Amino acid sequence: MDPDAVAKAFVDHYYSTFDANRAGLGNLYQDNSMLTFEGQKIQGSPNIVAKLSSLPFQQCKHSVSTVDCQPSGPTGGMLVFVSGNLQLAGEQHALKFSQMFHLMPTPQGSFFVQNDIFRLNYA
Amino acid sequence: MEEDQGDIIGKAFVEHYYQLFDNERPSLSSLYQPHSMLTFEGQQILGVHDISSKLQQLPFERCRHIVSTVDTQPSSVPGSILIFVSGSLQLPEEEHQLRFSQMFHLVPSPQGNLFVQNDIFRLNYG
Repeated sequence: MDPDAVAKAFVDHYYSTFDANRAGLGNLYQDNSMLTFEGQKIQGSPNIVAKLSSLPFQQCKHSVSTVDCQPSGPTGGMLVFVSGNLQLAGEQHALKFSQMFHLMPTPQGSFFVQNDIFRLNYA
Repeated sequence: MEEDQGDIIGKAFVEHYYQLFDNERPSLSSLYQPHSMLTFEGQQILGVHDISSKLQQLPFERCRHIVSTVDTQPSSVPGSILIFVSGSLQLPEEEHQLRFSQMFHLVPSPQGNLFVQNDIFRLNYG
């Protein structure tokens, strides 16, 4: 499978999990994973899932506009750079966001998120 | 919020990068190596020579990057850093600034200095 297709498949899976069942994101992170969410740094899958589950909205929908990816080096990692929109239930206007994932391969042949940085893009 | 070593290095790098970009674009070649990768608005470019050409051929003589946010995290290779930047790009004679996001993956060279191994740039349209 070509890297762009892998990146897109991962991004689709990540956001559909986020939008449907945030707790399900837990198996996409590991103990050494890091998330920086709007400048706040969080480490480790349980803390990351706790942060994402406690965001101040019940329902949301991510719509992806662009996905760029590059291999990150000899460890087989992949850098994925996303821009898109985040629609919150009850809000008239969607928020624009950018997000960066550094994916690392697992022994089972899938990927986990080692680094995750999320920023809203204000006008 | 306390700043760690990576934050300090990341912010210093970002300042240096955009200062070169805005004032001496040819000198950006010192920050890339033969296996560096740039994805610029979806176009993939490989290697310091082609990256430097691409950046120098962008359709504006002068520009100014204004950084809004810089986030850093350590990457997998010891000494390597991921940097995520958002900001504005002011072009002369353009009334409105362009907003952009950019990601750098800095990796130590054999000589010990950091170079840009991965670079992804996207304009953020309103």
